[in-house]
Amino acid sequence: MRSRLRFAILGLCSAVLMLSASGCATMGVEAWERDILAKPEMQSSNEALDRSLDDHIYFSKEASSGGRSFGGGGCGCN
Amino acid sequence: MQLTKKSSIRPAVAAMTAALLGAGTVPAADRGKLETSLLLYSEVDRVRALEGIVGFERAIWGDRLLNVRLTYDGLTGASPNGATPAGRFQTFTRPSGNGSYSAKPGAIPLDDTFRDTRFSIDAGLAQPLGRLTQLSVGAHFSSEHDYSSIGLNAGVTRDLFRKNTTLGVSAAYTHDVVSPVGGAPIPMSAHVGHADDEEEPHEHEDDDDEGEGTGPGKGKDVFDVVLSMSQVLDRMTIVRLNYSFSHSSGYLNDPYKLLSVIQGNGATDPGEPVGYLYESRPSVRNKHALFAGLRRYLWGNTVDLSYRFFWDDWGMTSHTAELFYRQQLGGGHFLQPHFRIYNQTSADFYYWYLVDGQTLPQYASADYRLADFNAYTIGLQYGIPFGELGHLTLGGEYYMQLGKRGPPNAIGVLRDFDLFPDMKVFMIRLGFSYDL
Repeated sequence: MRSRLRFAILGLCSAVLMLSASGCATMGVEAWERDILAKPEMQSSNEALDRSLDDHIYFSKEASSGGRSFGGGGCGCN
Repeated sequence: MQLTKKSSIRPAVAAMTAALLGAGTVPAADRGKLETSLLLYSEVDRVRALEGIVGFERAIWGDRLLNVRLTYDGLTGASPNGATPAGRFQTFTRPSGNGSYSAKPGAIPLDDTFRDTRFSIDAGLAQPLGRLTQLSVGAHFSSEHDYSSIGLNAGVTRDLFRKNTTLGVSAAYTHDVVSPVGGAPIPMSAHVGHADDEEEPHEHEDDDDEGEGTGPGKGKDVFDVVLSMSQVLDRMTIVRLNYSFSHSSGYLNDPYKLLSVIQGNGATDPGEPVGYLYESRPSVRNKHALFAGLRRYLWGNTVDLSYRFFWDDWGMTSHTAELFYRQQLGGGHFLQPHFRIYNQTSADFYYWYLVDGQTLPQYASADYRLADFNAYTIGLQYGIPFGELGHLTLGGEYYMQLGKRGPPNAIGVLRDFDLFPDMKVFMIRLGFSYDL
């Protein structure tokens, strides 16, 4: 299990570093091209409350948590 | 001057959002935001809940942003206690020790004494450090009659490459205390219950366990870390990659869950229970999740597609795929269908039941949440503008869990019963938000 964990972390870090080093520097848009990205419906923060409600429901009914945000505790859910 | 102030607050809002969601930096309201949400949750024949949230964001002390969120949950209804159905009436002592509840022949035993209220408060403060870096800190407290939780979190995000890339790291520590009604049972100890040909009269028909004496508290510590990256691909597309790790240690049992001990093949009544044991889980759990999300503007509408792979050291893995499609209807109105598909494998120590006479395992649980099952969500939300700065939303969702009927080699009478407590849930949501 530990080797699987290490593999996952190394894989993610490598992917992030490679993307950062190569692709990310040339991807994206200029500041004056952000008209669409600035729309409210393009912001994940726009639905943060709904998604946190979703996470709370699924946390209490399923074994998985995390990914989108912290996977922690805070509820003795039945 | 106004422009300068606005631009300095935007990163603070983004940092707070990122810290709460473990996500990349995204701008939100300029000055602050008021959000409320009301959720009506109803499981068919089981738990019903009402949850209300009020959230408030406001710029304070210049470019710092304060965020406060209050949540109230009220829950009531019945929850599967983990025992298998039987060919006879089954009677279980309530967790408080006062009175009992029963399950009819062939029915999944449900503890009908479930009633609780929960209050929580979350607060956070975000602070930009220069033009590209944002720091945030937060705190959490929640309380219900047999459970309390207190936590701290902190995060930092950094914009790179003309703000097209955002890297983030956030961490949280939570200390929970479980104070089970009737005291925390000894794992794998016997629960007082029995099966009879006739139903036993209830001693306290209207009893519930809220407010009944809770036993000594049992602690649980949770450490969380989220690494995040968001990347603008083009004018219309942004992607997010997250890795989250969660380490829990301490009391991880559900003190109200049982396992049936049944008669084996060759006994007088194969499959019928001879007793019930309290569950036993490991005291440590390490959870990992990889999350990938893509948001794309498509002919004036928005597609939000995400996938999560989850695994832990209890032997569980899960896949979650989710899709939101926001269809703009003009005038600020929108319609948003939502689909979610979820699949999880069972924990290494999940047992449908234990067999009388066989060696007891060190860890065992029959909690359906640790079983192998699929879940599906379908929903629809309608958005209505409220003035120039606010909007109302009304939505409905249907959630369904479908598990296996039982093990392929089910014993005796259990072959005739569906051992997984399939669940159907209806949800209605009302939301209101207003940019301040």
